[in-house]
Amino acid sequence: MPPVSQTVRVKVLFFGRLKDVVGQSEESLDLSDASTIEQLFALYAGRTPELAKYRSSVVASRNQEFASWDSLLHSGDEVAFLPPVSGG
Amino acid sequence: MTAPLDHDDIIELVREPIDALPLIRHVRAPEDGAIVTFDGFVRNQSHDRATLYLAYEAYESMALTKMREIAAALHEKHRIHRVAIVHRLGRLEIGETSVLIAVSAPHRAAAFDACRFAIDTLKRTVPIWKKEYFEDGAVWADGELPPAPVATPRAKPAS
Repeated sequence: MPPVSQTVRVKVLFFGRLKDVVGQSEESLDLSDASTIEQLFALYAGRTPELAKYRSSVVASRNQEFASWDSLLHSGDEVAFLPPVSGG
Repeated sequence: MTAPLDHDDIIELVREPIDALPLIRHVRAPEDGAIVTFDGFVRNQSHDRATLYLAYEAYESMALTKMREIAAALHEKHRIHRVAIVHRLGRLEIGETSVLIAVSAPHRAAAFDACRFAIDTLKRTVPIWKKEYFEDGAVWADGELPPAPVATPRAKPAS
């Protein structure tokens, strides 16, 4: 049986300077197939090439927990891309 | 989604000025002997440039989760009684408090250690960002990259 392609709907958030770079803070996105956080970031870097240069100074979260770049996304996930934090 | 708070701690993000006294009163109890507070407030300069004001923003749901985790870690690691951690968001003027931490304990050493751990961990792990406004523009402050898992552990394929 061929693998069934499923739509994965995720909510994507950008903060701080990343929000300025991509020009939006929040988007709901339908991914056509199982994707990782890395692939999601690459998708945005494809739209906004300047974003790629921030890759090494970004951490990602999935459902409000820091997540590795190889995390697989599931429908309903909330993913955020976070620049270095500067609270306090 | 978020675990209920034990210990009667106060963990908040606010947009109004932070009043330290009610927070200090809240953590104070007859069985304690010490309270250590940390009052972080807006400095009038940054890297030798005069700051006009700051603007803080947060990933609020995650920031609150991370602040609660800090409080839980304090109770686990130190013999303390109650914790208050309040961070302000939005525009802050010079001299205004951005973060207030108060820790009560039976004895001072635990309160000092816990308060120091709380602010150090907050600055490294809580998703809050500050933008510094100067006469000639604004910049996002340099920050710290929170530690994140390097790779997701996966089940090994059966051999």
